[in-house]
Amino acid sequence: MDGRIVVGTFRYGGGENGMSELVRLTDVTKVYQGGLTGALNGISVSIEKGEFTAIMGPSGSGKSTMLNLVAGLDRPTSGTIAVGGTDLGKLGEAGLARFRRDHIGFVFQFFYLLPNLTALENILIPAQLMGNVATARAAELLDQLGITDVADRYPARLSGGQQQRVAVARALINNPMLLLADEPTGALDTHTGEQVMELLAGLHRQGQTILLVTHDAKLATRHAARVISVMDGKIVDDARLESPERAPSDVIRVRTEEVSR
Amino acid sequence: MSLKYGVLGLLKGEPLHGYEVKNRFEAMLGGTWDVNIGQIYTTLQRLERDGLVRPAGPRGDRGKQLYELSPEGQKALDQWLAQPDSGPQQLHEDIYVKLLLAARIANGDLQGMLARQKRAYLQRLRDLNRLEERARRDGRLDLARLVRGALLHTEADLKWMDELSSERFGTEGAKTE
Repeated sequence: MDGRIVVGTFRYGGGENGMSELVRLTDVTKVYQGGLTGALNGISVSIEKGEFTAIMGPSGSGKSTMLNLVAGLDRPTSGTIAVGGTDLGKLGEAGLARFRRDHIGFVFQFFYLLPNLTALENILIPAQLMGNVATARAAELLDQLGITDVADRYPARLSGGQQQRVAVARALINNPMLLLADEPTGALDTHTGEQVMELLAGLHRQGQTILLVTHDAKLATRHAARVISVMDGKIVDDARLESPERAPSDVIRVRTEEVSR
Repeated sequence: MSLKYGVLGLLKGEPLHGYEVKNRFEAMLGGTWDVNIGQIYTTLQRLERDGLVRPAGPRGDRGKQLYELSPEGQKALDQWLAQPDSGPQQLHEDIYVKLLLAARIANGDLQGMLARQKRAYLQRLRDLNRLEERARRDGRLDLARLVRGALLHTEADLKWMDELSSERFGTEGAKTE
């Protein structure tokens, strides 16, 4: 087991193993005019509450498209997407925007912080859009993500890793039911990327459901117990990985040759 | 890797008897190594025969013999360390041959084979990640580096599976003789 804590008591449909379903895609297709790249070709998948799932695939495979559809940033050509029991297709534009704001956190590869706002102001935007004064929550997140001392800085004066932490805090300010991350380490060096992933893993341990798009199999398998492989707009594998304690020699075997003759 | 030079390397600095060599070797490689004590004794005897190690003092308790590096052994070790690993790439896993055979066999389930192998690699990556974490937790940074190497190798294997999957294998590969 990976120490997962399932929070909340709502059940969104009949999940297996007593877990509750948070996201369901049913026969989802996405056709882009004039190009094949990123299209989806009949995807059905269900994500349980509390899962840390990685979506992997080559560029143009449709993995980011999948994430954008789940986020409500885009609409499918056909098929249905339900998040937290809400059929996104039944929401109008305003309803969809509200749903995103209230329930979805999104972290992007290039942070997308507003340059004219401080770190703290960036974090507070989604809450302000809801009409909330979330200063206590923001302070808690700043502390949790280790960026309290840079709260008043503008993005240009933050390192890449700090900017991504601010972006993660912004994504979490409204306590989203689902955190989506599209290549969150893609613009960071290896070490900083690992720190950001550790952060996501920590959130997952506290019960956060996370859907991560990445092409880094090392990072994906370190933190996500489920790896969905997408290729040419289709799910080609859905692997649930085990994490038992194995003897080192069952994982790596250094081979030695005896001295000859 | 060569057991011979591994033993020479461990004897550099301090004389050891066979059982100590085995224990040091196992400790250094963090349990990722499988060798029996008999192989160590055989190796030591051959190294002694070739003049690369020599007995340090008389046999002790229960015939225990300490060995030390000879000047020739020191020289051989230095040369080995200075020489880059060259020569052919070692491919010792079955998948390499399985793939070639599957491409030859009519109705060979190549895509299925690739998918199953890919999943095995994903699980291996997860296991390696656990092992690396454990090594770091134990303060064994040298071992963590070894595991990191294995991680990157497995990542490359995984990429290879992806590349092959997207190649759309036909039967043309099987026709070449």
